[in-house]
Amino acid sequence: MNFELTEEQQLIGQSARDFGKEYLEPIAVELDQKGEFPKKVVQALAKHDFLGLLLPDDVGGAAAGFVSYVEVIEDLSRYSAAVASIVNNHTIAAYSIQEWGTADQKKQYLPAMAKGELLGGFAIFEHGPTPGVGADALVATKQDVGYVLNGKKAFVRNAGEAGVYVVFATTDPALGAKALTAFLVKADAIGVKVGEKLETMGLKGCPVADITFENVVLPQAALLGAVNGGAAISAKALAVASVAEAAQTVGIGQAAVEHAAAYAKQRVQFGKPVATLQAIQTLLAEVATDCHLARLGLRNAALLIEEGKPFEVEAAMIKSFLVRFGSKMLLDTCQVEGGFGYSETMPLPRLFRDIAGTNLLDAPGDFPEKLIAASIA
Amino acid sequence: MSILSSEQKAIQQAAKDFVAKHIIPIAGKFDKSGEFPTVLLEDSKPSNIFAMAVPKEFGGLNYDALTQALVLEEWGYGCAGMGTTLAASILSMDSVLIAGTDEQKRRYFKPMLNAEIGSFGLTEPGAGSDAAAGTATAVKKGNEYVLNGTKCWITNGGFASVYVIFANTDPAAGVKGISAFILERGIPGFTIGTTDHKLGIRASNTVELLLKDVHIPLTNLLGKEGEGMKIAMKTLDMARPAIAALSVGLAQRALDTCIAQVHARFPGKPFPGQTLQFKLADMQILVEAARDCLHQAMQLRDAGVPYSKESAICKTFCSDVAMQVTTTAVSLMGSYGYTSDLGKYMRDSKIMQVYEGTNQIQRLVISRAVLAHPPAPATSTAQKAGK
Amino acid sequence: MPKCLVCYKWTLDEQDIKIRPEDLSLDSSRAKGKISDFDRNAIEEAALLVEKNGGAVDALTYGTATVKQSLKDCLSRGPEKVYWISDASAENADANVTANVLAAAIRKLGQYDLILCGEGSSDQFNQQTTSRIAALLGLPCVTFASKLSVEGDTVKATRKLEDCQEDVVVKGSVVISVLSEINKPRIPSMKQVLGASKKPNEEIKIADLGLKPEDLQPKAVRKSVKGFVMQRKNVIYKETNAADNVAKLKVSLASEGLI
Repeated sequence: MNFELTEEQQLIGQSARDFGKEYLEPIAVELDQKGEFPKKVVQALAKHDFLGLLLPDDVGGAAAGFVSYVEVIEDLSRYSAAVASIVNNHTIAAYSIQEWGTADQKKQYLPAMAKGELLGGFAIFEHGPTPGVGADALVATKQDVGYVLNGKKAFVRNAGEAGVYVVFATTDPALGAKALTAFLVKADAIGVKVGEKLETMGLKGCPVADITFENVVLPQAALLGAVNGGAAISAKALAVASVAEAAQTVGIGQAAVEHAAAYAKQRVQFGKPVATLQAIQTLLAEVATDCHLARLGLRNAALLIEEGKPFEVEAAMIKSFLVRFGSKMLLDTCQVEGGFGYSETMPLPRLFRDIAGTNLLDAPGDFPEKLIAASIA
Repeated sequence: MSILSSEQKAIQQAAKDFVAKHIIPIAGKFDKSGEFPTVLLEDSKPSNIFAMAVPKEFGGLNYDALTQALVLEEWGYGCAGMGTTLAASILSMDSVLIAGTDEQKRRYFKPMLNAEIGSFGLTEPGAGSDAAAGTATAVKKGNEYVLNGTKCWITNGGFASVYVIFANTDPAAGVKGISAFILERGIPGFTIGTTDHKLGIRASNTVELLLKDVHIPLTNLLGKEGEGMKIAMKTLDMARPAIAALSVGLAQRALDTCIAQVHARFPGKPFPGQTLQFKLADMQILVEAARDCLHQAMQLRDAGVPYSKESAICKTFCSDVAMQVTTTAVSLMGSYGYTSDLGKYMRDSKIMQVYEGTNQIQRLVISRAVLAHPPAPATSTAQKAGK
Repeated sequence: MPKCLVCYKWTLDEQDIKIRPEDLSLDSSRAKGKISDFDRNAIEEAALLVEKNGGAVDALTYGTATVKQSLKDCLSRGPEKVYWISDASAENADANVTANVLAAAIRKLGQYDLILCGEGSSDQFNQQTTSRIAALLGLPCVTFASKLSVEGDTVKATRKLEDCQEDVVVKGSVVISVLSEINKPRIPSMKQVLGASKKPNEEIKIADLGLKPEDLQPKAVRKSVKGFVMQRKNVIYKETNAADNVAKLKVSLASEGLI
């Protein structure tokens, strides 16, 4: 059993870190302050093949494997978790098309997505208790030549910038979630209305908005996977997404603990650097430990995904762990830096706001513990 | 929650009403801009709330400690930043209460009656937790002191009328060489430096204070020369629970927001399953325990009983509770949490664990009190039970 | 269509090296390897020249057993093939030994239009290897190149020297060392990294180079390497007048030749 990354994976990580240093570090603060979508950075990401990392080479992807992918996400997140969010949400959409799309759908969308010419988004959540249930639920009504979508999707990331969305709608409101079906919807389809950009606590620069669908006509060819097969698709895609998101948490936490450690070594109080105080050592050590264990856990889940093995339980475990210990990494590192950890002229406040966005329990009432318990009891 | 007298209940309700009318509607706007809400001071005038800690003989409301905590909890509920403005003003005036002459009290409490505020200037770039490491100086020259130095992260500094400033009258004497002084806004040489942009409590004004050859009369010395650290420590003891009160309000607000979101999310199904319910129950347990801990400390203070350890405990526990509850709230409520005020409450909570003595310093205070003397050995049931 | 050869060294990343406070000795136990900084510029320059003019880039490296870790890194940066020599003699090699080995290998590999190296290695920075290789091969040598271009069988180089810039033209094969400012080494894209494992690498055994044992003995022996810790002067200017403090600082900086 080898816990080390392969040479290639290490080189990939190195490229991602160098990219982060060159392209993300200079813009991270302004991106957070202004929240303007970083088009130039996205172009640069595409040029270095980061947007087609998981896609096969016959569509122009790098076919790098999921372990390499999470390594990249961790490294990019050290510099700008907002940019990593853009990549993650785009990649989950591309992954969905790769996994469940027809040959035609793959040909239609994936080459452009690999090149970064077309950005992806993933529209699953709704304002009701569960996708497919409630007054605003997105409903797909069968017609002669396809479907018509009506309803609303909530909190869609990359909204407004994506050119294609993977959208989940119920074909039968009476059955609700059981009739959930996936579709590929082009952003410029008539009736697709991206709502006002929402104000997020962090990860600013990755736009989040509701999307309303008003009589959006879709041909049969827009169907992704089987009719009423959406629940299974979204469950798997979200499980993959949670591992990718865990890499963001670890990257942010790593950046924070390095900054706090460097701070503690030079901040002198009571005649000594505060790094010599046991209280500070405890804070730093706990964060470093949780970050390290989370990294190992997420790499394990990533390897299972890469090898095509069952991974949903491991993915849920890493999510469960980070819901409990993810934000703590910034609560503790900010504590180390005291007043400096509270001033927006320093990096930790931005990391604090960013990391809180990576441990969200978005599937309503659907806790990762449910799946874990089901696997053992 | 302690059992309140009818007078305390009335004051609590008045505070709730004030917060609902004057704080909650503007909190979001000032959090976004980071501007100081001068309108709040104006709106506070009728209630005289900025003089709630001032004794009656000087025109104040003279609220007891528990009552002050009730008010501060409501302000924390409305906006922890605006609550900090009130808490920090009281902090500075507590120093005057502890060490001031009647003349000083009369002179410096007067602005509070007009909803003007005070500011407590202890921290320096090199003196955070190590408060005694400050390098600001106060040199006696004839019938004046001349002050020089820089203070940082001073709450209310940009808008206060009166300041309590700590400086070395005898740098060689270390801790025992620090003295406390009262300064008024506008004295030549006393200027306001940069304003800090913060992660949270953004409506609270946090600035640098610059002292360059500031001449003040000898009568501006607070207490005796060399008593500065003693005054500061006693002041912080007194004022710490205010942070606990803001924290309880903050935590309660986050919890109430979660409950409202759960009702909105699961209409007609207010009990959405054990996992979510139990997390909310845990939040409720913490908020109530925090409030009780705070109230207990306040009752000790009102009874005139030593409460330094309890003051440190309630500051630590309540701020840790606020941090935990607000963090859980954001994660639990998913993207709602992340795009709503729940984010603000989480941001506001962090500083509660840091200012007025970090929770690490509090643990030093508490552990020293706890470990100072070994506990009496337990006795058998045949004998009288130990203390 | 120049045929280029780039020589590079696999060194320790100095960022990972810690200085032991007791005796200033170096702790390299956690140090990862990297291609020496200026050699990266050389590899990049060769790749750019070939992208512009056609041709091909080979790479050559001499090091200890760890040199195998460098191969994919190198191949992800442009070269089509990498030749490597792994031998214990590299551990203590001085510039003389390194040049002997590399020159012997180059003689075995054949003709190259351009042989590029970095200005110096990021660990020892002797700045000798390039000139020695040129001398051993009887080839012209152009050092400190800040700009390079190829026109047919002519190489044009700009040399950046301490107080002037020199333009040089060379016909035929030439050995060149490059400065860091000549280019910005690429961040290998994902495809370039993954493509590296498809490219060939070939070991050259040191025994096949026809070298004598004394050719592998360093003439300059390193006795010890110690870390350099900058000592702070801790001077505080305490005049009440800020202008006086500035004046004193000016005098102090000027006396050290810093301004």
